[in-house]
Amino acid sequence: MELTDGDLIARVLVDDDQHAFGELVRRHQSSVRGLLRQLTRTDVALADDLAQNTFLRAYKNIRSFRGESRFSTWLYRIAYNCFREDARRRKELVGIDEEQLQAQRDPQVADPGLRHDLMHALSLLPLNERSAVLLCCQNGLSHEEAARVLDIPLGTVKTNVLRGREKLKRTLAAWGTELIRVEAMKRI
Amino acid sequence: MNQANQEDWLDRQLREAAPYIDDEGFTARVLQQLPAPHRSRRSLRSAILLGVTLLASVLAYLLSDGGRFLVVAATRLTTLPTLWLLVLALSSGILVMAGGVIAAISKARELQS
Repeated sequence: MELTDGDLIARVLVDDDQHAFGELVRRHQSSVRGLLRQLTRTDVALADDLAQNTFLRAYKNIRSFRGESRFSTWLYRIAYNCFREDARRRKELVGIDEEQLQAQRDPQVADPGLRHDLMHALSLLPLNERSAVLLCCQNGLSHEEAARVLDIPLGTVKTNVLRGREKLKRTLAAWGTELIRVEAMKRI
Repeated sequence: MNQANQEDWLDRQLREAAPYIDDEGFTARVLQQLPAPHRSRRSLRSAILLGVTLLASVLAYLLSDGGRFLVVAATRLTTLPTLWLLVLALSSGILVMAGGVIAAISKARELQS
């Protein structure tokens, strides 16, 4: 029987079992690294550094995890804090603004077409809308969970998701029409 | 265009735009950077506790005239009626068992929380 996240956390807490923590990292690395890649606008190296930092912080502070939320939600919160701190530090050191960074980077997406356009459209969203859309629409968090991760009021999360989705829909309107047409044709 | 269709489409595309990222040594790199486990500290604590207990026992033995009180207590026990001895043994057993159960419950609560 596969151990739950709770079982693994208990092993880390009681026996300081690093193998159990390794299993937790293996389980959640993809979603945490994925989220950070999107937040950093596909800067893979930076995202992976932040992801490592996220898991190290999680290990050091695992006693503060009370199980009130899912472990993944708790990890997203740490990841988001790491990202914000890094962005703030970069801005202070180099004077580079988040929005300026976007103009310098091209989304390095391997496959062209729809996904490329989607990633590009996502990267054009302001950080607050991008993070809300990523957490709720891509990572499947509820609005309440996203509010906890982003440490903002529930209403603000809902507004940011709504605005972000509206912008994505507007940018990708042509793709949407085409896909819906293709799906309708398949049904016939 | 149907609003619900478009939203379904957007959500599906957003989910598909986040493919599984292969580990490729990421977990190993994280584990390498973890601080050393606290086991050595825990075993040091056990050694200190054991040492202090042994020291206290030796002191008690020396200060009680070579443990004479133990001999007196053992002699008194032999003079007790059998029924009393049985009651004493039973109560000691129950006491130890209760201690074990309490420890197990508190450990289980700690794990659950």
